[in-house]
Amino acid sequence: MAPCAKSFRPQWILWSCTFGVAVTLATLLAALLMLVWQSLPVFAHSGVGLLTGTDWYYPEQIFGALAMIYGTAVVSLVALVLAVPLALGAAVLSAEYLPPGPRLAVKSGIEMLAGVPSVVYGLIGVLFLREWVYKGLEPFDPISGDSLLTAGLLLAVMILPTITTLCDDALRSVPAAQRAAARGLGLTRAEAVLHIALPQAAPGILAAALLGLGRALGETVAVFLVVGRQDGQLPGNPFSLTAWISPGQTLTSKLGGPETHIAFGDPLHWSAMIGLALLLLLFVGVCLAAAWGLERMMRRNTDPVAEATP
Amino acid sequence: MTASRRLIRFLLPSIAALCAMFALTAVIFILGVLLVRGLGSIDWAFLTSDTRSAGAEGGILYQILGTLILIATALAVAAPPALAIGLTRVVFLRSRPRAARVVDALLHALNGIPSIVFGILGLLIFLKFFDWGKSWLAGGILLGVMILPTLTVSLVERLAAVPRKYIEAAVGLGLTREQIITAVWLPQSWSGLLTGSLLGLARAAGETAPILFVTAVFSGATLPTGIRDNPVLALPYHVFVLAQDSFNDDARANLWGAALVLVLLVACFNLAALPLRLNLHEESRHV
Amino acid sequence: MSEKNTIAHRATEGTEINGPGCGSSSATSVSPCEKNSPLLRVRNLSVSIGKAGILDNISLEVPHRTVFGLVGPSGAGKSTLLRCLNRMIEMTPGARVTGSIHFHGQDIFAPTFDSDVLRTRIGMIFQQPVVFPTSIERNVLFGIRRLRRLSRSEGTDLVEKSLHEAALWDEVKDRLHASAQVLSIGQQQRLCLARTLATDPEIILMDEPTSALDARSTEAIESLILRLKTERTIVLVTHNLGQARRVTDWVGCLCPSVSTGAGEMLESACCDAFFGSETCRRVFRTLADDETLS
Repeated sequence: MAPCAKSFRPQWILWSCTFGVAVTLATLLAALLMLVWQSLPVFAHSGVGLLTGTDWYYPEQIFGALAMIYGTAVVSLVALVLAVPLALGAAVLSAEYLPPGPRLAVKSGIEMLAGVPSVVYGLIGVLFLREWVYKGLEPFDPISGDSLLTAGLLLAVMILPTITTLCDDALRSVPAAQRAAARGLGLTRAEAVLHIALPQAAPGILAAALLGLGRALGETVAVFLVVGRQDGQLPGNPFSLTAWISPGQTLTSKLGGPETHIAFGDPLHWSAMIGLALLLLLFVGVCLAAAWGLERMMRRNTDPVAEATP
Repeated sequence: MTASRRLIRFLLPSIAALCAMFALTAVIFILGVLLVRGLGSIDWAFLTSDTRSAGAEGGILYQILGTLILIATALAVAAPPALAIGLTRVVFLRSRPRAARVVDALLHALNGIPSIVFGILGLLIFLKFFDWGKSWLAGGILLGVMILPTLTVSLVERLAAVPRKYIEAAVGLGLTREQIITAVWLPQSWSGLLTGSLLGLARAAGETAPILFVTAVFSGATLPTGIRDNPVLALPYHVFVLAQDSFNDDARANLWGAALVLVLLVACFNLAALPLRLNLHEESRHV
Repeated sequence: MSEKNTIAHRATEGTEINGPGCGSSSATSVSPCEKNSPLLRVRNLSVSIGKAGILDNISLEVPHRTVFGLVGPSGAGKSTLLRCLNRMIEMTPGARVTGSIHFHGQDIFAPTFDSDVLRTRIGMIFQQPVVFPTSIERNVLFGIRRLRRLSRSEGTDLVEKSLHEAALWDEVKDRLHASAQVLSIGQQQRLCLARTLATDPEIILMDEPTSALDARSTEAIESLILRLKTERTIVLVTHNLGQARRVTDWVGCLCPSVSTGAGEMLESACCDAFFGSETCRRVFRTLADDETLS
């Protein structure tokens, strides 16, 4: 044999890695397909009515998720409208104004919000937020403290740390030379932030908001506890806000509720629940995909791993 | 300078500071409430005795044990694929940026899947198809899949930070790729897997939705003896159930205690991961 | 360390002149500092960043409408000194400044002195040109727009005037709306100059403005500097002794002190005087190891 000829050597690691990756991919794909397959009966039964129907009454096999989609949308909208400005403000402070020591302290403090499990948020919502909302809404004569608004408020605090961290990263990725050039022209620090840093960090900030939205869409337990879980609360007038302060239902609160167990026996009901889960996946998927695209735009097509391994 | 410029120069940092203060106030409130209301109920007896009277009396021993069993299972389920995917992403796909981006995207996607969807899938697979009844293993597997991205991303970060000079030296010595993996890549990256594991354990400990349908019960379970029809108690589920029903004041005190224990457990894991995270960019140890 | 008075003395005493004449034909004039008060006066300036001393007891005077060059080996603190002149040193964490800098007789470090306003009157060009991710036109107007209201026509006129002054007009006049980032690096540096000129500063600080540029762009910027100084004052940090000789009127030489490592002012003199002096020869020898005299 020639001295340098290649001989066959079993590449255990490569094979087991490939196996591992393949198994994971296959499992995920199978799970997705299974969801789709199990949801087919309800689409056969109601077609697109699953999305557009306003009523949900399973004893009579009426499956319309529009009220839930509306609830999900309202809850997420409230959460975003509150969380994004607050998070952006906090990020501007930590990224643009604070020296390294206090910056780390503030960032860590806010990140502690992320370490609290969602069920504990739900607990705080039940025992505190509910009362506050009820008292605060007294002029409007609310039914109870459980409402879409309450869930939105709670969610806002839950997604705050995620958005703050990502906005901070986005702002820090704008090169310091740009800010220095602006300052050198006589612009104030605030003007450098407003006219240089924020515009250039905009894609990253938008991605942060989208990721926050994705989290808000998928949150179950906390929303479940304070949203009221009332079906069919679709307001006649889309601009009326009464539905916001009344109990409502979101996709996640329905899925997390007792109906999932009840549906176990009835194939059509079961398939309707799976259909809801698929809808949820779809909405979250769109958010994540958009955020992913924006993040890539921010990094301008560089592979972070390839960069780190020069 | 015009008055409006001066105004903005003052307003921007002031508003930013207010926002940050709001967030920090929320943190202090949540932690404060937990400590004030929960600390009183926690003592050795609380942590080591069984629950009685639907949570009004007794302790949370089996809830703690159940949670520990679940997260240990989750780690065991998640670690091998995390290792496989991590190595693939950094070592084997180095020359294929497009495939690498696909892997990144998939991890991103997996990380974003709502936890209730995992619960539903579990119901579908473990209850409907496998007919396991409520099982601790089902919950463990679901949690494992859920924390897979956490472990993998942490490992990938660490692997990517291995200095190229070590790889080149190994190549120069004539080592095969497999040998380089065992001699250079892996020894330098254990901390990444460890960090990821701690973060994953923290995340798994706090999750309710995945275990809602297929694993947790509120009472009646102690330690599992088999797989099928062997539910466990779990801290998040315990808090979840008690938060919904009306209960008396004793139960409420214990409820805060349980919530505090849960938060402390999660915090322990997160804090344990901190030193490793802060040292991510230090020079690697010699092989 | 020479005092300003003795420098004027030496100039009139007719010190040996080496090499081509400095800066402009006013090389042999007496120090304007004798007649009028200097535009910028630095007194006993010391700077430290964290524990490290960067500058030690620097004093100098920058007269009106001249080019003042700062030369010296790397690490002597020339850039730091420049950044003190427009108070950009404050953006460096841990920087501590003692001593005083007077601009038009006013102490710029006084608490009541607005540093943002200062920077509109003392502009700065950096070593690496920094263009904003927008059009050429918007880049030029970027600073001035914040300072005062500009009508459409005023804006267009100002863009043209500034680009003319920066010797960039002919090259970009028909693509003012194109992105500034497609310009070559030499053009970008001139764009930065135009942008600074639009705010009409009295002093322009230049931190090694040509080290990142090729020979042609360097030549263009150098002739620009000579033209600019008829209206404005320029403080130029340069590594390149040939450049210093070509464009400056006054030279300050900074060297790291043997004892503390912080930069100290070895000599501040009229260009001709400097290049014939003992200090220059002494530092020159060490400088000659650093880079070539071109």
